Amino acid sequence: DSHIQYERVGTDVTMKCGSMDWDAAVTWTANGTDIDESHLNGSYLILKKVDLTQSGQYSCYEGSSWHLKYQTYLRVGTPPKEPLLMCRSNNYPKGFYCSWHLPTPTYIPNSFNISVIHGTKEMVCEKDVFPKNRCHIRYLQLFSTVKYKVTLTVTNALGKNSTTLTFDEFAIVKPDPPESVVAKPVPNNPRRLEVSWQNPSSWPDPESFPLKFFLRYRPLILDQWQHVELSDGTSHTITDAYAGKEYIIQVAAKDNDIGTWSDWSVAVHATPWTEEPKHLTTEAQVTETTSASTSSFMPPPTTKICDKGAVVGSGAVAVCWTAGLVLAAYGVLFI
Amino acid sequence: MAAADSPSAALRRRDLCSRGIRLAGKMRSDVIDLLDTYVEQQGLDASASVAAVEGVPAAAAERWDEQTGTQRLLDNLAAYRAFRALLAQMLEEQREQLGEADAALGRALAAVLLQVSAFAYHLEELLRLESRGPPSEEGAGPPPPPHLSLFERKLRGLGVLRELAQWAVRSARDLRQLAKPGPGSSSAPSPAESP
Repeated sequence: DSHIQYERVGTDVTMKCGSMDWDAAVTWTANGTDIDESHLNGSYLILKKVDLTQSGQYSCYEGSSWHLKYQTYLRVGTPPKEPLLMCRSNNYPKGFYCSWHLPTPTYIPNSFNISVIHGTKEMVCEKDVFPKNRCHIRYLQLFSTVKYKVTLTVTNALGKNSTTLTFDEFAIVKPDPPESVVAKPVPNNPRRLEVSWQNPSSWPDPESFPLKFFLRYRPLILDQWQHVELSDGTSHTITDAYAGKEYIIQVAAKDNDIGTWSDWSVAVHATPWTEEPKHLTTEAQVTETTSASTSSFMPPPTTKICDKGAVVGSGAVAVCWTAGLVLAAYGVLFI
Repeated sequence: MAAADSPSAALRRRDLCSRGIRLAGKMRSDVIDLLDTYVEQQGLDASASVAAVEGVPAAAAERWDEQTGTQRLLDNLAAYRAFRALLAQMLEEQREQLGEADAALGRALAAVLLQVSAFAYHLEELLRLESRGPPSEEGAGPPPPPHLSLFERKLRGLGVLRELAQWAVRSARDLRQLAKPGPGSSSAPSPAESP
């Protein structure tokens, strides 16, 4: 007969060789390796202050015949500590889910039992196939002021522990982050970035239960985030981006009326539109111009760097004017 | 029934729903502030559990998503008419208690009572648009206040305000459902076209 026995870390374990007498001559093995006689008290095997490495198969053989007299699988572990439990509704108003885990492993099998009570009613939390430490509940009532009480009990061969959460319907509402966040530069606009996103697909009815959004963005070179809260719509144009700097952008969502903000979405990167440097090429084109009309003279694109939005700092304005005058004079020469 | 479905009626319904949603949002915000003041002034524990209070319409709804538009309006109207009477009772009790510290609470209660009355009127307008018309208010006035101790009255008041805050959220959701185009928002099913 093969057995399994569970023992707590740090305790002393005594194994008997089945029905053999105490003074019988026996040999014990651990995972096939002989155990030194110093660990024996008669035919009993004594393991002092067991640790996790001592888990394994222990076998006892009769001294002379080497008949297997007893075999056991020793699993060294710990009783469960208080489990960590969380409940959340990311698909309001359909229902909510609860998930749990142990703060430290027990190293032996555990079983979990969850009970959900709403007022006097016991509700069934259906266990998910994956992940297996999760279950979900459908709301039978909405807008109730009566709190939900969820108790999770974890049990193993060495003990049990439990935890209870009490909450109301609104408090646990937390959507998933917005999806498909896209940030694009705006052509000919060096300080703008167009950001768009979608409602999380897990949110079942955004029309009746609209979400509001929080956008945060910063250039990679700075640590400080800018924030914008948006009460409707799934797009926003950033108008104060630093020209030519790469930005990191994220969005979060919250039900318009209740609950808490989602986690931040996956970050997207974007750089505002910048003018391609064509300074030398364009001057060559100007010298070939033969038209007498001033209206046909196109100022070189480099003058666009004088656009107010593109340049940071007031000193740049004087430079722009000077550049403009020089270029205007240059153009007149060729009319 | 045909009038309720005309384009102008649909526009009016949408407009009334949008305004109603904003009213409900403001009302909820004010009720939550009032709850904080109430709990403090009345010396209550904010986390105190209050059993279902008799005469206070519970916001909790089963199969909420299956309700028709008319049912939503009728349930809401009944609730806010009840809250109007309950808040008026609370205000009366507040005045009887006197004390300077309670004057601010009295003003906050009166402000919320005004919003509740306005919202009830808004709901009546929506029901008129459904060609249904609001039901008459039964009875000569509010039910006589139950004989309660001061502490019991305070707890009852807490229950009233909590349930009202819940209703304000539900009402916004109800009006959004009503504003949706489609069969879910219409009042009664249209009579079948005769062949």
